[in-house]
Amino acid sequence: MTNQVKMAPAKPVKKKKIASLDRRKARAGFLFALPFVLGFLLIYIPILFESIKYSFYNYRVMDSVIIKEFVGWNNYSTALFAEADFVQTLLTGLQEMAFDIPAILIFSLFVAVILNQKMVGRAAFRAIFFLPVVVSTGLMESIMMTSHLEGGEGMDLGMEESAAEKMESAMALEGLLMSVFSGLGFGTGMVTYIVTAVQEISTIINRSGVQILIFLASLQSISPAIYESCQIDGATSWETFWKITFPMVSPMILVNGVYTIIDNFTTDSNSVMTVINSTYQSGNMHVSSAMGWMYLMVVLLVVGLIAAICSAFVFYQRRD
Amino acid sequence: MTQNMESKPQIKRETKNKIRVEFERTALKDRLKAKYGSSFFFKRVIWYIFRLLLLIGIAFVVLQPFYTMIVNSLMAPQDFVDPTVVKVPRHLSMGIYKAIILDVQYFKFFFTTMGLSLVCALLQTFTACLVGYGLAKFKFRGNKIVFFAVVLTLVIPHGTLQAAMYYRFSYFDILGILKFFSGGTRTGIAGLDSILSKIKILPWPNGINLMNTITPLLLLSVCGLAFKNGLYIFMLRQFFRGVPDELEESAYLDGADSFRTFWQIILPLSVPMMITVFLFSFCWQWTDDFYTRLFFISAKTPSLMTYLSAGLPASFVSLITSYTEISHSSPDYVQAMKYGCGMMICLPLIILYLFCQKYLVQGIERSGIVG
Repeated sequence: MTNQVKMAPAKPVKKKKIASLDRRKARAGFLFALPFVLGFLLIYIPILFESIKYSFYNYRVMDSVIIKEFVGWNNYSTALFAEADFVQTLLTGLQEMAFDIPAILIFSLFVAVILNQKMVGRAAFRAIFFLPVVVSTGLMESIMMTSHLEGGEGMDLGMEESAAEKMESAMALEGLLMSVFSGLGFGTGMVTYIVTAVQEISTIINRSGVQILIFLASLQSISPAIYESCQIDGATSWETFWKITFPMVSPMILVNGVYTIIDNFTTDSNSVMTVINSTYQSGNMHVSSAMGWMYLMVVLLVVGLIAAICSAFVFYQRRD
Repeated sequence: MTQNMESKPQIKRETKNKIRVEFERTALKDRLKAKYGSSFFFKRVIWYIFRLLLLIGIAFVVLQPFYTMIVNSLMAPQDFVDPTVVKVPRHLSMGIYKAIILDVQYFKFFFTTMGLSLVCALLQTFTACLVGYGLAKFKFRGNKIVFFAVVLTLVIPHGTLQAAMYYRFSYFDILGILKFFSGGTRTGIAGLDSILSKIKILPWPNGINLMNTITPLLLLSVCGLAFKNGLYIFMLRQFFRGVPDELEESAYLDGADSFRTFWQIILPLSVPMMITVFLFSFCWQWTDDFYTRLFFISAKTPSLMTYLSAGLPASFVSLITSYTEISHSSPDYVQAMKYGCGMMICLPLIILYLFCQKYLVQGIERSGIVG
């Protein structure tokens, strides 16, 4: 160490002429990232701050002149107390999230494991499963959803029915599932969870495309040698899944979990986003900004909490 | 195996280079029994059938809305009144599609949207490559901060920023420079203000109004800030981290600088991944109605006329809105028209997807997102 300190003053003379490779590389790396850095600093940050500012101001357009007045936490209190819907939707939104995320994660891991096995028509199935990733986003999502609701039950029964009859058949299905599962000795909470998951299967499938892709990629990266040695030691495939596959993909469960939460709460079909959007469209931009920021804080809290809990259980294979 | 061991196989030499092994084969019946009669085989068959049924079921759920959309949009109007027609049309009619193509000028929408999506997707892919590569392979000061910023842009929902974005691009300015040179800067001090307002080099005292142009989208795309671009940067970063350093080192030894290495060595390697990202960005730009609604229509006059008069109706939103306004027949028929529009919107995407889906899985598999 002492040698290096003594050496240091002599070096700069040399460095002035030719920058070291490390330095040149650092400069090049910064240049590569420059488009994003510039955009982030010059466009995104101002937008971000303006958005925060809006949530504290009241803007009115009068004779094409913008009048702004500082209202402090007023917009927040309006969003929380005056807009009756917001808090309620926020709570139900969080509830839905708590329901959706495990369902999507379990489903996508399951499908990824199946799609990873060798079989006839694997390529075709993969192509079909990733179709929703590409097609049913944004604008298409709403159209697709209505066609689902219309088609789903009519198809099963082969006849067009009235809404009441549809409800009845859905109830009958629920009752059947309930009796089957409670016969197996699950608790009622578990049963209702499964029943709801079955009823919402189209939503779950449509939203787990990216997650299946990510799980599939991580499954592909597990060395087949591990499975082979497991097989030789006489492990069943059930044991192999829990002792090998699950720990190996656990980092991706964390990533997928976080992605699902974020994806879930940024889509416009989300009930909280709907409230925020309608508030925006009805002219209360500042209130909608305040709502958006509160929602963001809540979700960041959830993400942080889940990431903290999950990362304690995640298994990282040492590479290098 | 054990049976074979008992009767020794006999080896005969026929010619110099050829031998013949003779042994007693197990009877065909026994062999078949051993192969197909075991519980192992039985379990496999059960699993195979279960898996196939499950996959077909899920594929059905995915494909069913497409079927509904196609069939309903092809039904003739009288089929909607006829209660005996379910799921399979009795009278086929191309009426809806004809109307979409002719009355709503489908191809005009198609080409503007195509151009916009193509340009944006290309820009987004390229920027994501650059930034992802920079973040993955170079250690520079602030690398982690930049990566954190990327994740931040992914996390913050665009809905939160829409009001701010609208104002930002209505009165666009960079650090107040444009305002300053147009004499629009206000400090609140009377003397200084009168001097400042005399600077009139540029004509934009309030900043440039970029609404109803494609500039905001292009700007966001170039900077990697558009819809879900954080995800692309993240994906490409993970991909580039998996590319071995030796490739670049050998290129450096041969005298190439970083950009040449990137252009000639790294980019050709990452074509599948780039196609994946391009597919995502193209499709998500194509079906996006948030940004196009925000930038191509002023919030005060959300009518169809603004769309058409703006000259750049960049999204197909108007297709649907215009259709629901035109039709005044049965609600089922309106719904069928929506399906028809939906089909026309996603048909190009499906065609593109069929060509690219091979690369989609390949790209993700090689990406080593697992890191």
